[in-house]
Amino acid sequence: MLMGLRYVLSALALQSELIPRGSRTFVFQRIFVVFLVLGTLVGIVVITYMLYTAYRYRDGEDRADDGVDRPTLGELPSVGSGGGGRKLLPSFTLSVVIVISLISWTYGTLLFVEEGPSAEESMEVQVEGYQFGWEFTYENGHTTDGVLRVPAGEPVRLRVTSADVFHNFGVPELKVKTDAIPGQRTDTWFVANETGNYTAQCYELCGAGHSYMTADVVVMEPDEYREWYANTSNSSSAS
Amino acid sequence: MSERRPPTDTDDGTAGESLPDDGTVGERVPDGGMTDGGTTDGGTAHSDRTFVSGEHDADGHAFPSTSEIRRWLVTTNHKDVGILYVVTSLFFLLLGGVLALLIRVQLWAPRAVGETILNPAAYNQAVSAHGLLMVFWFLSPFAFGFANYVVPLQIGAKDLAFPRLNALSYWLYLASGLLFAVSFFQGGTFAGGWTMYAPLNVPTFMPDVGASTAVLALVLFVTSVTVSSVNFITTIHRMRAEGLTLRNLPLFTWTILLTVWMMLFAFAALLAALLILSSDRLLGTTYFALESPGGSLLWTHLFWFFGHPEVYIVFFPALGVMAETFQTFTGRRIVGRKWFIAAMILVALQSFVVWMHHMFLTSINLQIKTLFMVTTIGISLPFDLMVFALIYTMIKGRIRFTTPFLFTFGALLLFIIGGITGVFLGAVVLDYEFRGTYWVVAHFHYVMVGGVTALVGGLYYWFPKMTGRMYDEFLGKLHFGLYFVGFNLLYFPMFVAWQTPRRVFDYAPGLAPWHKLATIGGFVLAASFVVMFYNLTKSAFAGDPAEDNPWAYSTTAEWAIPSPPPLENFPGVPTYRDGTLSFRSDAPQLTAEADGGTAVGSTSSATPPAAYDAAREAHDEPASHASIWPLALSVGMFVLFFGLSGLRGGSFVSGAMGAVYLASSAVGGAVTFGSLLLWALEPFDAPAGGFGEAWPFAGVENGKVGMWVFLASDVVLFGGVIGAYVFTRVAFGWTGWEPIPTDPIPGLLNTYILLTSSFTVVLALVAAEKRSRMGVVASLVATFLLGVGFLVNKGIEWQHLFHEGLWLSTNVRSSTFFLTTGLHAAHVIVGLLITLFLVARAWRGAYLDDSQTVEYFGLYWHFVDIVWLFLFPLFYIL
Repeated sequence: MLMGLRYVLSALALQSELIPRGSRTFVFQRIFVVFLVLGTLVGIVVITYMLYTAYRYRDGEDRADDGVDRPTLGELPSVGSGGGGRKLLPSFTLSVVIVISLISWTYGTLLFVEEGPSAEESMEVQVEGYQFGWEFTYENGHTTDGVLRVPAGEPVRLRVTSADVFHNFGVPELKVKTDAIPGQRTDTWFVANETGNYTAQCYELCGAGHSYMTADVVVMEPDEYREWYANTSNSSSAS
Repeated sequence: MSERRPPTDTDDGTAGESLPDDGTVGERVPDGGMTDGGTTDGGTAHSDRTFVSGEHDADGHAFPSTSEIRRWLVTTNHKDVGILYVVTSLFFLLLGGVLALLIRVQLWAPRAVGETILNPAAYNQAVSAHGLLMVFWFLSPFAFGFANYVVPLQIGAKDLAFPRLNALSYWLYLASGLLFAVSFFQGGTFAGGWTMYAPLNVPTFMPDVGASTAVLALVLFVTSVTVSSVNFITTIHRMRAEGLTLRNLPLFTWTILLTVWMMLFAFAALLAALLILSSDRLLGTTYFALESPGGSLLWTHLFWFFGHPEVYIVFFPALGVMAETFQTFTGRRIVGRKWFIAAMILVALQSFVVWMHHMFLTSINLQIKTLFMVTTIGISLPFDLMVFALIYTMIKGRIRFTTPFLFTFGALLLFIIGGITGVFLGAVVLDYEFRGTYWVVAHFHYVMVGGVTALVGGLYYWFPKMTGRMYDEFLGKLHFGLYFVGFNLLYFPMFVAWQTPRRVFDYAPGLAPWHKLATIGGFVLAASFVVMFYNLTKSAFAGDPAEDNPWAYSTTAEWAIPSPPPLENFPGVPTYRDGTLSFRSDAPQLTAEADGGTAVGSTSSATPPAAYDAAREAHDEPASHASIWPLALSVGMFVLFFGLSGLRGGSFVSGAMGAVYLASSAVGGAVTFGSLLLWALEPFDAPAGGFGEAWPFAGVENGKVGMWVFLASDVVLFGGVIGAYVFTRVAFGWTGWEPIPTDPIPGLLNTYILLTSSFTVVLALVAAEKRSRMGVVASLVATFLLGVGFLVNKGIEWQHLFHEGLWLSTNVRSSTFFLTTGLHAAHVIVGLLITLFLVARAWRGAYLDDSQTVEYFGLYWHFVDIVWLFLFPLFYIL
């Protein structure tokens, strides 16, 4: 576990910027990888130690009486005290340090994610979930159903709500997700760096059509996007 | 001792007689401290067997033997009830398991429209019912089977404090599960996930009658849990053997104690949520309706306030089994015992302040997110300590990998994986992406089914004690092998395929191989249970007879008595006075105490606490362990709730089914009421507490403790309902909200009426203590009349409002007013029914020798008054 701690410290030191900032995809990947590596390490260390101890102290016919004070039937638990207690608090303290430092480290990123891009440098889209689809309204009032078009490389702010039941709007590849709650508005944001087609999906059970409650997210070249946007008006369309 | 000793429940006594008494028990208990009727041979178990066989058929007619079906219908013995719980919960495991396999079959490949095995609506029902059945009807009841069987044995009690209430808990549990099963056939069961998010859960979006039935089944289940919590809290606090202080309580009992305390409060919050939901579904209130401000969020708060403690409620007993088996099978006492206990207490307390981490993506603000992130990390840390304590316990052990230990050892391993993956979710930024995905599914299955793994270990551990026979060790190990492989094959791929959205069967095609693996794992896991059922069923009837203590180095009291233990458990009064367990025969004879003092009735309130003196009065008749009324009451409530499920918007659905539902409600109501009455009149002796350690309730009888504990849960119930009102009103705009009654005078008048009635109850108690029969009757009649006055006044007020066009379904303001004050009025009505019962009995001279029943009723009545003192300003003035 000391190794694990050292890994965190070196991982932190190696990064030019201690707190991951950037697109949602980037910060997620960075934090996820650190957690995954550390979690695997801690898991392997603890489970290996556990298996080793179990093997080492297995009972067998060849085991002589080792003079250890064994529990007896009917004794009060406070009578005897188990050995190994001295290891307990140091291991516990170590785990506390690992967990707290890890979570505190991600808190900086949380603040960054929560703050989001400013209104000037980003566009805003209203998202409304309904059984079973998504409707998007742009700043000029243009409304589309089932397709969200955004420019690549530019921050997009989403204001999400629902027309009927509790939904959750998420685009897994872009690492953006938020609840769509009737009567409430939740805000989130993302930046899509690569052009292409992505799929938005509902992440809260919302009825029979839940599995198919998807929308296309089309990330376009910024110029192309602006051209498309200029041709939209305060009206609805299917694309 | 002159107490009744009914026959043993071993059918032929082979378990005892065919075994040579090798004196192992005696060897482990120093200085022959255990005595039985003057025989100081240390071999309690041996002498006990003699005593059991000697008493055979002494008064067998009073209590049928285990081979008769009747025994299982009327029993109130904790060991019988424990077995019933275990068997029934395994039945629900099968049901939930079959649903899980259906889910896995559907997920074998991504299913486009038209390619599904289950249609989408059926799939939603399957995932919802699977979650509800496993969490509610399998996990906790399975654990409480052991709790029922083992806890009284570990603490040295003859039975639980209220044996009939214990039987009631079981029968209500069974009734609720069967009601849930019925819901599948009423157009489809609840299909909104086990979290039941609003507003999908209201009839607008989920019109099937079956969905209402499922909600009512949960209400019935919560009633069972509340009764059970009151019973266990009273028992564990009040009925411990001398020397068995809380510090010295065995760890399994510790986990159950903390579990029932959490249950008491968490399930009361769930009851509030479910009552409001039932009211929305059946009576037409609009708390969770789409139009209501904050209805959706209100549900998430109510549900998760219950839902997070529920995680620990489910897991703690498993932790207790791990702690017990780790000590036994390593031959070491647990490392850092007091830290282990402190860590559990900390978790139990903290479990009530972490619920919003299930809501990080809702509209809660950053400050709240930060706060709940901190509390969430805080609650994860004590578990690190417990895990390390269990691992270090193995050091210098003599570890025997018999089936129970294999399972609990495996459980610890799985829990470590579940715990580490849980830390990921504690990082809010990661949680944002994991929300609603299979990462969550995989994580909580590692934790919850990890817990099941430990409980299965517990089943093998206590199987010889419960049946008197040994399971087949080879088949046990085979079960473990299949189970462990199946488990990891099932759940680990879910981490890899974590991008799959929950409850979705049309996932990205690239994830299909992982889902195929998981499905295969699911079937392997299922197959492992076939092995278990074969092994345990066969062994229960034809296994080798088990010794009293088949495990070396076990310490707890259940292993010091025969397998299975005789009906009265111990050969004398268990005591740890000298630092080890012994049985005293010189104890002063215990006065029997009747149960029923705290009967927790239907959804909202208490039943007559009058059984106490009923037992006294009829003391000539021999009191029995048997009672049919818990079963009858549960049947009544099953029929009643089935009938109520046909309500929609305050009236029964139209057509022939409507008539069926109406008739069912009437019959069910009558049976329920009749059973309650007959229950109250039945003579019944329950074991008294306070013979040993009873901190912190040493000076209070069981009945009063039970009443206090019940009222504590009722406080949370009203807290939940009043909280829902405040939350809705804040979401609506506090100042823009006009109180529903334009005229506060009737409410004010009712305040005075209720306060006066509290005073008359006090007068009744004083009269009882002064042995004035007419005084008691007059005071109780006055109380009754004042209560009726309260209801009449309220009725007139509601009539006026109704004529103004205001009713339950008018708007959310009227919904909150009528439901909250209506719940209070229901408490008043129950109180009046009890008062009538008390008057009838006081007329014949009851309560003069012992005023406890009047006192307990007074506690309830004062509580109802105090609630009104909160409701009046909240609903009439502000």
